[in-house]
Amino acid sequence: MLKEAVEGQVTVVCNAIAASVQFQVEPVGRWFEAFLKRRDRNVSASFQELEEEEELSEESEDEELQLEEYGMLKTLDPKDWKNQDHYAVLGLAHMRYKATQKQIKAAHKAMVLKHHPDKRKAAGEQIVEGDNDYFTCITKAIEILSDPVKRRAFDSVDPTFDNAVPSKAEGKENFFEVFSPVFERNSRWTSKKHVPKLGTMDSTFEEVDTFYSFWYNFDSWREFSYLDEEEKEKAECRDERRWIEKQNRASRAQRKKEEMNRIRTLVDTAYSCDPRIKKFKEDEKARKESEKKAKAEAKRREQEEKERARQAELEAARLAKEKEEEEAKQAAQQAKKEKEIQKKAIKKERQKLRTTCKNWNYFADSEAESVKMMEEVEKLCDRLELVSLQSLNEMLSSGTKEEGKAAVQQVNAQLQKEREAEVQARQASRSSEQASSGSGGGSKGWNEEELQLLIKAVNLFPAGTNARWEVIANYMNLHSTSGIKRNAKDVINKAKNLQKLDPHQKDEINKKAFEKFKKEHAAVPPTVDNAVPSERFEVSGAEANAAWTTEEQKLLEQALKTFPVNTPERWEKIAAVVPGRTKKDCMKRYKELVEMVKAKKAAQEQVAAKSKK
Amino acid sequence: MAAIGVHFGYTCACVAIFKDGRADVVANDAGDRVTPAVVAYRDTEQIVGIAAKQGRIRNAANTVVKVKQILGRSFDDPEAQKHLAESKCPVINKDKKPRYEIDMGDVTKIVSPEEVAKLVFHKMKETAQSALGSDITDAVITVPFEFGEMQKNALRQAAEGAGFSVLRLIHEPSAALLAYGIGQDSPTGKSHVLVYKLGGTSLTVTVMEVNSGMYRVLATHTDHSIGGDGFTQALAQYLAAEFKKSYKHDVTGNPRAMMKLMNSADVAKHTLSTLGSSNCFVDSLYDGMDFDCNVSRARFELLCSSLFNKSIQPIKALLEQVGLSSSDISKVVLCGGSARIPKLQQMIQDLFPDVELLSSIPPDEVIPVGAAIEAGILLGRESSALDQDSITVDCCARDILVKEADDSGADVYTVLFPSGTPLPARRQHTLHGPGSLSSICMELYQSQAHNNTPQEKVAQIVLNNLEPKEENHDIVTVVTMKRDGSLHVTCTEQGSGKSEAVTVAVAS
Repeated sequence: MLKEAVEGQVTVVCNAIAASVQFQVEPVGRWFEAFLKRRDRNVSASFQELEEEEELSEESEDEELQLEEYGMLKTLDPKDWKNQDHYAVLGLAHMRYKATQKQIKAAHKAMVLKHHPDKRKAAGEQIVEGDNDYFTCITKAIEILSDPVKRRAFDSVDPTFDNAVPSKAEGKENFFEVFSPVFERNSRWTSKKHVPKLGTMDSTFEEVDTFYSFWYNFDSWREFSYLDEEEKEKAECRDERRWIEKQNRASRAQRKKEEMNRIRTLVDTAYSCDPRIKKFKEDEKARKESEKKAKAEAKRREQEEKERARQAELEAARLAKEKEEEEAKQAAQQAKKEKEIQKKAIKKERQKLRTTCKNWNYFADSEAESVKMMEEVEKLCDRLELVSLQSLNEMLSSGTKEEGKAAVQQVNAQLQKEREAEVQARQASRSSEQASSGSGGGSKGWNEEELQLLIKAVNLFPAGTNARWEVIANYMNLHSTSGIKRNAKDVINKAKNLQKLDPHQKDEINKKAFEKFKKEHAAVPPTVDNAVPSERFEVSGAEANAAWTTEEQKLLEQALKTFPVNTPERWEKIAAVVPGRTKKDCMKRYKELVEMVKAKKAAQEQVAAKSKK
Repeated sequence: MAAIGVHFGYTCACVAIFKDGRADVVANDAGDRVTPAVVAYRDTEQIVGIAAKQGRIRNAANTVVKVKQILGRSFDDPEAQKHLAESKCPVINKDKKPRYEIDMGDVTKIVSPEEVAKLVFHKMKETAQSALGSDITDAVITVPFEFGEMQKNALRQAAEGAGFSVLRLIHEPSAALLAYGIGQDSPTGKSHVLVYKLGGTSLTVTVMEVNSGMYRVLATHTDHSIGGDGFTQALAQYLAAEFKKSYKHDVTGNPRAMMKLMNSADVAKHTLSTLGSSNCFVDSLYDGMDFDCNVSRARFELLCSSLFNKSIQPIKALLEQVGLSSSDISKVVLCGGSARIPKLQQMIQDLFPDVELLSSIPPDEVIPVGAAIEAGILLGRESSALDQDSITVDCCARDILVKEADDSGADVYTVLFPSGTPLPARRQHTLHGPGSLSSICMELYQSQAHNNTPQEKVAQIVLNNLEPKEENHDIVTVVTMKRDGSLHVTCTEQGSGKSEAVTVAVAS
């Protein structure tokens, strides 16, 4: 039992409480887990409960709501319920869409208590019979407003809502005064929470941006099913119902579209009138311009810098060039000077030589001899270098007459020899050049194999073949392994060269071919080498083929024609017709012929194709 | 989904499965619900359980018992040294860590205690799996309260080595409380519980506070010198004396004979917990002579009376230590195999005359059952990992009391908000005031530290202008305390809805 309060005692805190302490608990049990979970989420069960309680108490306060009398209530026609203002009927005209479900219920209760026919009857009022009493309007109102879907439909077409969109002219003058209430009004249709405010002139760019992006992406819950002209429930059959539904859907969509357009127009108008947008745009423009200017400035500066650098470079180059030229000039002058000095020296020496020779009377006794010697001395003067002239002069001046003569003659002889050697060398080089050019032109890399190939080709395409040399050249190109391309001219030259060769040389070539063949093949089976060669010789030799005379060839061709492919024992018969040839020979020859013809045809075709091109 | 709780004791191990909302101990392959924590090494195999225990007679040197004693301890640890002295299996010092030396014929194998524990855990896992018929890894494992970090880690490693995924290590006494669901019904109220655990080799007495469904260890006492083995030993000594009396042979010097006697005494001891007398029979105990002896329960109790007294002693000491009287204890939980002994139960009952002894679950199964229940709670949690600071919680430091008058008009204090309540918390009470009064005063006090008597007044709440009526005034008092300890009290008179609130700040 609690005690009675003494007179004068009041609620008071008289002492502080001890702070909490930390204890170690055992980590077991469901309450420990629950505790951990609560702590992790930073909520406490008890405080949560408290919050809920607070909410409850708030709601209970709301219940003391003020109901407005609706004067026209008693004059309402229940049949025209669709056009009545349900909020007004319930006395909630001042709350409208802001009324909570609880308030609506409370209002309805109050209305029922007041206007129920039974009550009024008891009060002695006259009651209209049936559904025609105005109480039906109240019933209808609660029916609409208590159902969230129906209420939303009614709210959507709230007759008190101002659908007007301010014009541009209005908005331009005092934008915030005009548009602020409009957006406020329209924001009730949003299905999202937290509607951004229009803001003021000082709003930041981000705020304005969020505002407009919200309104441009406006997600409205407004719908127009309340205005449906036909009621689905009235339909008598399914088809009719469907038709009505279709009609309603179409009209609703139409209205919805209009509504969206309305919002869009509103936002567009606002956007175009918004002084802040203008300001931002100007700012942006100014910023861009200044940026551009700065950029241009930077570019210009850079250009200038570059130009300056180039100039400096050019200047440096020019200076260097000038210097170089100067140097070169000086060097040239120097060289010229030196040359002149040398020339002078040579002249002097020559003069000296001549005078010495003259002094010695050209080492000659007779006139004729002296003339000859004079010539020689002149020659020497022409030919000898400065140094040798000097030495010669020295020798001449120091020696006797005889010695001088000998020296001059010696030098002359030496010169002669040198010249001869030079001439010889020149001749030799010329001849060698000739030789090399001759051989190069003749056998531009003709090696053994190719020579053989050429011989074969020449044999294959006898004289009279159409464009014979081209065909041969083609054939060579096709079959050669060296990869060198030959033209008809090359081939003709070589073939003529070969023809010029004596038979001995031909034999040599053939032999070489055989030797090479043997070398190539010997590497493969060294053991059977002894046994095989004779046979091989026969096989590989071109003589076997050559043995076919023209007559034999003719006979063979004839026989081939007389005995067609399907003749039994054809080859025996052919062999019998061709004297001196076995069946084997004939078959071989035939195969060769076939091959030849094929190759010919292929080569000719190629030539034809080439010429066509 | 199922989870298991494993109790790995000094002498025995036991496993319980939590499935379909209930926890149950499962029997091993030998049909026993408790498996001796004995591991025997043979030439080619390791044996765990009863077979190893019975084979110890012949294979004492290669049989490891009571491995928990040195698990996670260094070689120089006094506990480890004690184990060393008792162990028949040679223990060597390797890098300051104790290692068993197992003789495998020609080679000597060095085995760490963790490996031995791993084998035991593996056996428990097998047992659980064969009972469930499916693989199971999630387990809660119990550890003694006095286990240090090293030992816990060693145990955890051994369990993980055996393939368990350890959900949590929990203390044995709290597992015992959980097994009986103490404080789990509602998260309010405060009570004290005594956990009495008498195992094979150790005695542990713990006083716990249960507050708002959470457990807190107030004090604990562990004595490794008392245990079921001591009773068996005493009985075996008696049997040896009997044998000497009848056959004139002293078997106490013969280890194998003693071991046989021990096994026989063990069985007799178990029997005596349920029956009045038991027959001890050992074939060719010594020199081909059979031994047969009848032991009555009274005889056994007489033999062990000093041991029993010693077992009960710590309870009183502990209660004194925490400043509680035996009447403050609301429940006593018995666990450990030796807590089955009727004489002991009776002695404890005598200590707590008004308290119910909780022994409906077999005492040696209490702890694994609690562990399994915890495993069931933790099962399906995204993270059961626990960091150190999450087990320290802010708690109310002092009792919050209200002064009332009893029928005779004397002052009484009623606890509105007990100390030790995890914060934040809210408690609601309905207080009554005489209906004749028009004003009521509630005086709030807080208790002094360590002593409840001299109270300190914290605040007073006055409700004025009440309408006097026939019946009592109902005053709903909501006491809320935040984490820092600040207090908010709201009083509401039910009849008139008049209310007063007061907030008491924390002393800086």
